[in-house]
Amino acid sequence: MTILALLALSLPCLYWSAGLESRAALEAAGIKRVCVPADRADSWRAAGFTVTPLTDAELASRERVPTPGITPRAGVASPTRAPWVEASGWRFSRHPAATFVYDVPAGKAPLAAAEAFAYGADAVLKIAAADLGALGAMLAFLETVPPVELPAVSDFAVVDDGSAVTAEVMNLLARRNLLFQVVQSPSARFPINIRIGTPEYPRTEAADPSAFAQKIRRQLTDDRRALRVYGSEVVLCRLTADAGRARLHLINYGGREIEGLRVRVRGRYADGEVHVAGAGRLALEDRVGTDDATEFTIPRISTYAVVDLRTAR
Amino acid sequence: MHRRSFVRLLAAATYARTTLARASAAAATEAPTVGAAQKNQDLPALRVVSSYKPAAVPGMPGPFPGRVVAVNSGRSVDIATGKADDAVVREMMARGMRALTGAGTTADAWRRFFEPSDVVGIKVNCGGYPHCISAYEIVGEVVRQLTGVGVPVAQIYVYERFQNQMDECDYAAHLPKGVQFVAAERANRNVDNSGYDSATYLEADLFGEEDTRSNIMRLVSRQLTKIINIPNMKDHGATGVTGCLKNIAYGSFSNVARTHSGGKSHTYSVVGRLAAMEPLRSRTVLQIMDGLRGVWHGGPFARTTRYVFYPRQIMFATDPVAVDRLLLDIIETERRAHAAISIWDRSPASLKMNDTRARDADPNVNIIIREPGHVEYASALGLGVYDLKKIKLDQLTV
Repeated sequence: MTILALLALSLPCLYWSAGLESRAALEAAGIKRVCVPADRADSWRAAGFTVTPLTDAELASRERVPTPGITPRAGVASPTRAPWVEASGWRFSRHPAATFVYDVPAGKAPLAAAEAFAYGADAVLKIAAADLGALGAMLAFLETVPPVELPAVSDFAVVDDGSAVTAEVMNLLARRNLLFQVVQSPSARFPINIRIGTPEYPRTEAADPSAFAQKIRRQLTDDRRALRVYGSEVVLCRLTADAGRARLHLINYGGREIEGLRVRVRGRYADGEVHVAGAGRLALEDRVGTDDATEFTIPRISTYAVVDLRTAR
Repeated sequence: MHRRSFVRLLAAATYARTTLARASAAAATEAPTVGAAQKNQDLPALRVVSSYKPAAVPGMPGPFPGRVVAVNSGRSVDIATGKADDAVVREMMARGMRALTGAGTTADAWRRFFEPSDVVGIKVNCGGYPHCISAYEIVGEVVRQLTGVGVPVAQIYVYERFQNQMDECDYAAHLPKGVQFVAAERANRNVDNSGYDSATYLEADLFGEEDTRSNIMRLVSRQLTKIINIPNMKDHGATGVTGCLKNIAYGSFSNVARTHSGGKSHTYSVVGRLAAMEPLRSRTVLQIMDGLRGVWHGGPFARTTRYVFYPRQIMFATDPVAVDRLLLDIIETERRAHAAISIWDRSPASLKMNDTRARDADPNVNIIIREPGHVEYASALGLGVYDLKKIKLDQLTV
């Protein structure tokens, strides 16, 4: 299988139930790959599209993903300083082999596509027709991101007992860019293993997942974290790396372009670049290295950006 | 009687007397000690990151620690209209600057601080628009005097953090063409960081926020050689008052609203720590406290005239602590005149957390436990003189 074919598989797929008469709209958006109802697959294929047929049963079997973004939550989140973020990266990490479906309102398709792509999730997107152009632009951008497969970076492990409580803990940990690996039993690879219900991590504490995430943050300490983000409370990240390089996915859930996002990544990196949706490839700014970390500024990020770093020799 | 008329009359009556003397006398016996404010053991860990070295004589407290010149004029502002008299303000400025420096001429007084090669920032305060901002007449006179000593207009920067506030105030319409206007962010939306210096910041985890840095404006760290601070005499819901220290600190750094939340304020230590950071501390060489108008409640905002009052004075100093120490008493005295709770009030009964509507409607409501002790804390950082007995106040009348 070619790299391009692999890339196409890693892209989220637009679910399009309209008939062939809507072909012009898809073509205008630059979308050439679609997931369609099984009985329409042949006609779309004949029209030159790359088609994945999906039966109603297959669609229904996919895990439904909440609409990504920020939502008002009176008394829980501050609308300007720390908004409530709806994000599903933790969900994809928890069930990497699962299949997902988004059904998002107008304005959310590009964010949903970026979120799924960042985590390599097998996701289908049901979108508002008004978003076709924006989704097409995002998918076109995602195709330009050089394909790289690197292991995820984690600072600690969360033992998944399958419970809703643990799910919400994962959600709030991810919300704070606390990088964790989901494991089925404690792993010696990590200094911290969180298993809800143990004396160290009692279920009563986990009932307040925000406070619980803070406890983990304190336990880990900010200095030891693999990733820090400064200049926004609504950019959530996925970091992958090996000995020679690192890739950082940044998803901006806030809906407003951010200028000058500062990032600190553990490890010494000599060089790097950032691919910014809507802006293309940009240089990292104000890059500085410390003994054990590298800092840089991303000039701007609207919805999604990918940073590639090369390890210092 | 119409409420606005009542406020005007009250303000006129209050400030027909010698405000400072009365305020200081009251405060000398009643201002709590710092122990009544946030206790030291509760202070958050603050990490300062800056490669800038202090000047031989840092601008704060500068060459005149503990020295304040207050110039009063009943003709400076028409209380009925709120309009300032440009000529009277100009005379107040001249008298004040000469008295502060001891110079024989006004130009010599300004030369004491500035030379033609300087790149000068004027830190205005736009938060109290439309009724209490750094007065156009004062800012205009500052620009006039700077150009008079040879600073080119292109090297004069009026700055604030938020462009939308600067737009409202529109200083450009009142200043010579060529003066620069810089804001770090388009608005208070936490999305614009490029106007800040990524290498110079205060780091602190105050309430578990993820963004733990407050960065200094690039303009301040990389362009300006001197700064003139022009705050207003205002009450503040988190700090008790917002004067020299708060205006220069919170007006020059990013991400500072995070210091007060859920009824608690870390402004007690953060205000002073930011003001003391280099290069801000060394470059801020002159404090001009605009007391032509003031706000005794609901600050830092002044969207209505309900809490506006008219001290009709301007203070001159290099020591921000000394000015703010006097300001504490001015605001406290004015609040007392309106039977409002003290800025030092820490009673839970007065607290309606985050309820800005209740605060705006009732001067006996706090939305946060205020920290007026931040002024004394700043003194402990070496930024100036807090002890009233050691503050030398010269009062002049124009």
